[in-house]
Amino acid sequence: MIMDEMDLVGQLKEVPPLRPEAYERARTMLGTAMAQTGTMRVAAPARKEKPGWVRNFRLGLMGKVGIGAVGAAAVAAVVVSVGTSGVSPAPSSGTTAEAPPVGSKLVSLAADVKATDGTLPGDASLVIRNRTAPDGKPYITYNLYTDKGAEYVSETKAELSAAVAHDDNLADPVDAKEIAAARDAAKGDLNKARQDMVNAVPNGWGLGLGPAEAQAAWDKSEAERVRILKMKGVADAQPRPRPTGKGMDGYINNSLWVNSLNALTRGAANAQVRAGVLRLISTIPDVTVEETTSDGQAALALTAGPAIFGGTGGQVLTINAKTGLPISSVAKPGPGEKPMPADTYKSARVTVADIKAGKF
Amino acid sequence: MTSDAELIGKSLDGDGEAFVELICRHERAIGAYLTRRVGREAAEDLLGEVWVAAFESRSTYDRAYPEARPWLYGVALNKMRRHWRSRPAEDPVPDATSLANGWDPWSAVDARVDTQSVLRSVLARLQPEEREVLTLVAWEDLTVADAARALGMPAGTARRLLHQARTALRTAPEVAALLTNANV
Repeated sequence: MIMDEMDLVGQLKEVPPLRPEAYERARTMLGTAMAQTGTMRVAAPARKEKPGWVRNFRLGLMGKVGIGAVGAAAVAAVVVSVGTSGVSPAPSSGTTAEAPPVGSKLVSLAADVKATDGTLPGDASLVIRNRTAPDGKPYITYNLYTDKGAEYVSETKAELSAAVAHDDNLADPVDAKEIAAARDAAKGDLNKARQDMVNAVPNGWGLGLGPAEAQAAWDKSEAERVRILKMKGVADAQPRPRPTGKGMDGYINNSLWVNSLNALTRGAANAQVRAGVLRLISTIPDVTVEETTSDGQAALALTAGPAIFGGTGGQVLTINAKTGLPISSVAKPGPGEKPMPADTYKSARVTVADIKAGKF
Repeated sequence: MTSDAELIGKSLDGDGEAFVELICRHERAIGAYLTRRVGREAAEDLLGEVWVAAFESRSTYDRAYPEARPWLYGVALNKMRRHWRSRPAEDPVPDATSLANGWDPWSAVDARVDTQSVLRSVLARLQPEEREVLTLVAWEDLTVADAARALGMPAGTARRLLHQARTALRTAPEVAALLTNANV
């Protein structure tokens, strides 16, 4: 075949896909713009199938749920009783927080998983994630998370090998923070780990700060939000009061759930990360755990209730009851929303060299 | 399947989910288009702005065209032009020299045969409109007519620009050498 100039130019065509989070962020921005018109019927704020932050992606909850009752002076950090686990005060800076249901199936499983922790084979974790695209077709991504913190993502095996060969590292500093928080949670300092997991993604809640500093952090965050909105032409944008009480708990628990699942996805093959994530999730009052089966294997269904998602919908994460490995995730629809297909995961320990050589 | 034009019509009637479905259909293509032109990092920042701009201008969409992707390319191009204009003066980046930065699949190849940089250099010498038509056809798989739609120009003009661009490429000594080597 004779190559012409168009074929040559076509050789510059290949680019890596945007990160899934980027699509979510873009939809969220669109959802915000649509909501601001005040004339659209939108079941979800960001995307057709579900708000981005319902899924296990790193997206903040800011601006997506209503703010609860406002108490100007009610921003003092609260020490929370946590039962007999030896866990010290929870990091909530809202007015209330509930005691983690220690002793739960999750904590027991976390202990079992941690006990199995040992030298892992390989030097990276390969997570094959299978989703259903809006057009109904399967959408598979190959995600390689190396033990050194690099992340490679592709839509085909061949592209993953190429991405490794060319070091197209997509790792975000947030990923490392979340993984570190999960590891810390497995080691025992659960409250510190909980706070670190929430704060892995920048937010304006001032978690872990004193009342004055927390308010200052919120004010700064809101000022920036208003500045951006005004740049976008929203002339009447106003700073919002800092959420308190259950409103703040909703933000924090949503962040804890989303960030923990993100860590679990990335560190699925690492027993310490799994154990830590299970312990962290066990501190969220609105998560229920049920025994179930999945493809014949004993499993646990972790259901994050509507309180974590602004009062509607939810998410069910199914994990192996013996290993804590994630099996699938599905968003539960809110009233009037369509059911969502599940995300499924396959995790394995691999070597970077094998991936680079296409041996997988 | 509901056409893109019908989804835009539903959106104009107040159905927000219809517009979300529209962008879900095209997000990967538009994301790749942005990445090729401004690099992945900027593309990730711009994608949301493209959707907002498309949403805000959807009333101008000519619903005689069932397929909206060329229109979305045009919206994305306008956003990228604004992005390029907003870059610091001390960092003038011609659009073609920033092609696909952040992804250099040939970085390990011997610089002496760095075809990519040769092509970038030659593309940078094209007239902007020639380059836009050429890359929409070569990279985005648009027909010349659809490229014309994206760029808001008559199809005949796009055909002329593509012809000029291809001629300029073929006659560039560097490209000629590459083609000679490739077709030996």
